[in-house]
Amino acid sequence: MDVILDNFDLFWQGWLRTIQICFFALLGAVPLGILLAAARVSPVPSLRTLAGGWVTVLMSCPLTVVLFFMAFGLPEIGIKGSYFWFGTIGLALYSASFVCEALRSGINAVPTGQAEAARSIGLSFMPSLGLVILPQALRSSLPPLTNAIIYLIKNSAIVGAFGVGHDLFAVADTLTAARGLAALPVLAGVIAGYLLLVLPIGRLLSLIETKVAILR
Amino acid sequence: MSSGTLLYDALGPRAGRRVRWFGVVTGAVTLGVLFLVGEKLATEGQLSADKWGPLIDPANPRFSTLWSFLAGGMLNTLIVAVLAIVCAMAFGTAMALLRVTSQPWYRWFVVSVIELLRGIPVVLLIFFLARVLPEIGIEFSTLTFLVMGLALYNGVVIAEIIRGGLQALPRGQKEAAQSLGLSSWHTLRLVLLPQAFRMMLPALIGQLIVVVKETSLGFILSYEELLRRGQIAIQSLHNPLQMFFTIAVIYIVINLGLTLLTRRLERGARKKAPGTPADDKTPAAPLPSPAALPEVRV
Amino acid sequence: MTLFSKGAERTVDTFPAPRGDGETATEQAAALIQLRGVNKHFGPLHVLKDIDLDVAEGEVVVVIGPSGSGKSTLCRAINRLETVDSGTIELGGVPLAVEGKSLASHRADVGMVFQSFNLFAHMTVLENVTLGPIRVRKVPPAKARAQAMELLERVGVGQQAPKLPAQLSGGQQQRVAIARSLAMQPRVLLFDEPTSALDPEMVNEVLDVMTDLAQEGMTMVVVTHEMGFARKAADRVVFMADGAIVEQASPAEFFDNPRTSRAQDFLSKVLSH
Ligand SMILES: Nc1ncnc2c1ncn2[C@@H]1O[C@H](COP(=O)(O)OP(=O)(O)O)[C@@H](O)[C@H]1O
Ligand SMILES: [Mg+2]
Repeated sequence: MDVILDNFDLFWQGWLRTIQICFFALLGAVPLGILLAAARVSPVPSLRTLAGGWVTVLMSCPLTVVLFFMAFGLPEIGIKGSYFWFGTIGLALYSASFVCEALRSGINAVPTGQAEAARSIGLSFMPSLGLVILPQALRSSLPPLTNAIIYLIKNSAIVGAFGVGHDLFAVADTLTAARGLAALPVLAGVIAGYLLLVLPIGRLLSLIETKVAILR
Repeated sequence: MSSGTLLYDALGPRAGRRVRWFGVVTGAVTLGVLFLVGEKLATEGQLSADKWGPLIDPANPRFSTLWSFLAGGMLNTLIVAVLAIVCAMAFGTAMALLRVTSQPWYRWFVVSVIELLRGIPVVLLIFFLARVLPEIGIEFSTLTFLVMGLALYNGVVIAEIIRGGLQALPRGQKEAAQSLGLSSWHTLRLVLLPQAFRMMLPALIGQLIVVVKETSLGFILSYEELLRRGQIAIQSLHNPLQMFFTIAVIYIVINLGLTLLTRRLERGARKKAPGTPADDKTPAAPLPSPAALPEVRV
Repeated sequence: MTLFSKGAERTVDTFPAPRGDGETATEQAAALIQLRGVNKHFGPLHVLKDIDLDVAEGEVVVVIGPSGSGKSTLCRAINRLETVDSGTIELGGVPLAVEGKSLASHRADVGMVFQSFNLFAHMTVLENVTLGPIRVRKVPPAKARAQAMELLERVGVGQQAPKLPAQLSGGQQQRVAIARSLAMQPRVLLFDEPTSALDPEMVNEVLDVMTDLAQEGMTMVVVTHEMGFARKAADRVVFMADGAIVEQASPAEFFDNPRTSRAQDFLSKVLSH
């Protein structure tokens, strides 16, 4: 316990840094995921193929490889940046695929009859999408979307392990390796830091889920 | 069932033209981007034989050394993946059984352990084991730490998959088994678990894909799996872009193979699933309701 | 009291002609729906074969036939939920639009009641019924709600207005679906096996509503296996088999003296107990 109290400032800074990574990664992943999902369900075959390929590639590639490719590969062609941004953007690109698939599974969960009924009362493309299909699709997407967000938060530790610096994971590394403090309390503190992010967000989202769930 | 889809109607001529136009634009933009990337790579000297040779040219003197080195890494990756998934299955099944058979007074504990392990980033779990266990005098190889971390984390995920499978089984299965006089343990082991496993097979293979990807976290312990070996090779070859690209392709090929396997199993499972009606599009004509009948004299 | 106001707010030329007392609709009125030479394939399967069909203003046409004979496809083609390969489909002399706003407004004039109800699962019963009038017909919300309540009362589910569809029984859901279609003041109503998904004890509550509608002069095309309804409410029975219209006649004629052997065969199976 003393270890954590003595280094509370470091933990606090690391926690904020982790939140920063997650926030910016989400800011990129969600809009990109929406675009990818839109492309994957569009009537344009080439768009569907392209987005499908992109998602498949990023989902079958380890995040670590994506991060290494960005941080060590891109500078070779003159794209320079800080590890923080490489890591965060890499995490965003990687997570966007999961966001896309969460949205798509929500769309697929809407029965075709709902769309047919919407068309039958004379709603054209945009209104039937906006008033009937998407409201239902979004609600069904919430559980997988929750998983994608929690997955992103946990994956931010990989971004940290890879050397962004000053985030929660880096705190663990600094205190145990460099300063030689006992690993157990330090790591327990770091784990608590992640749980403090993951568990409340999971709870909150599952609360919303039950609120908006559709009875069929 | 319909000629339209969920999201849009069957395309009319105007919509069809618009879609084709979009298709052409998409194609053109894609080609343009690919061209620009290619040009950028060329001007930065990233397409040179110097950088690619060891990876793709069998005549290159370093080709065979590099690839036998990388193949060793691949083997290490697969060893970790297989060990981890086997241990995870065992641990996961045990946790699932523990959870479904637990008495209320200690169920909260089992649930907490599962929730805790699910909430910790797996990279941190591996790191935790590798740093904390030696501190209390338990020394293992990096391979063991890596496998342990992956097995614990994926084990609880698998436990939840199996529990989901058990819950999705029709009630009748359990009742039928018990009415035959099977004990509840036999019911679970002989009737319920095998079915849950079969139903969950695709999800379990999906988890294997996750494990394969997570083996690359071995880099934090400097375990020499594929990615780590690639990193080592870069130090003498100075071709990070090409190396990481190649390694990405290897992972993608392995995981796509596993994905295809999952799809095939899913299709097989659906065909054989008990109680699914034959895929007859139209329901059989129901009998006319009795109330409506008497009026008709034929 | 009538179940629907006959296009009270629309212009005279789209006004459905009420059926006069002495005349029968089939003799006098021009065809409201007209199909000529309609063909449709699903891959190699020829599901609609050269269909010619006229439905007059105010007429009630019941379509029967064995499962898989193309009844649903025919019904859905009139709404362009299915496209057709060749032939023409006209509503009030206007060819069916193929896309965009004009297709939407065509569909607004053609009500459709599905076998599986298809009520919007995330909306209350009242919202289900007012959505079309407010968004498509641009009726002020307060007025749309008042009209919707009136319709719901008349089909006997006024009490359920604030509930979600999943909280209702099948029969209640189907009556809401009928009210939802009626709220659009359609020129014709299509029913695709509206009672097939219902428990037996709920079939009649839906059939009663449909019978009332038929008696009030609503133009209806009804795919059903309810022979009692066909006999009581239909002006004409159309018998389909293997994608073609095999026989059509008045209900009395069709049920008492089916001319084709296919129809005789079908009736003997359906009515054998
Ligand atoms: N979307 C579809 N794709 C392929 N075949 C279809 C589709 N919809 C219907 N069919 C086939 O077309 C035939 C006619 O179907 P349908 O119109 O539903 O018959 P009915 O309503 O008379 O039972 C059936 O053989 C059915 O299997
Ligand atoms: Mg049908």
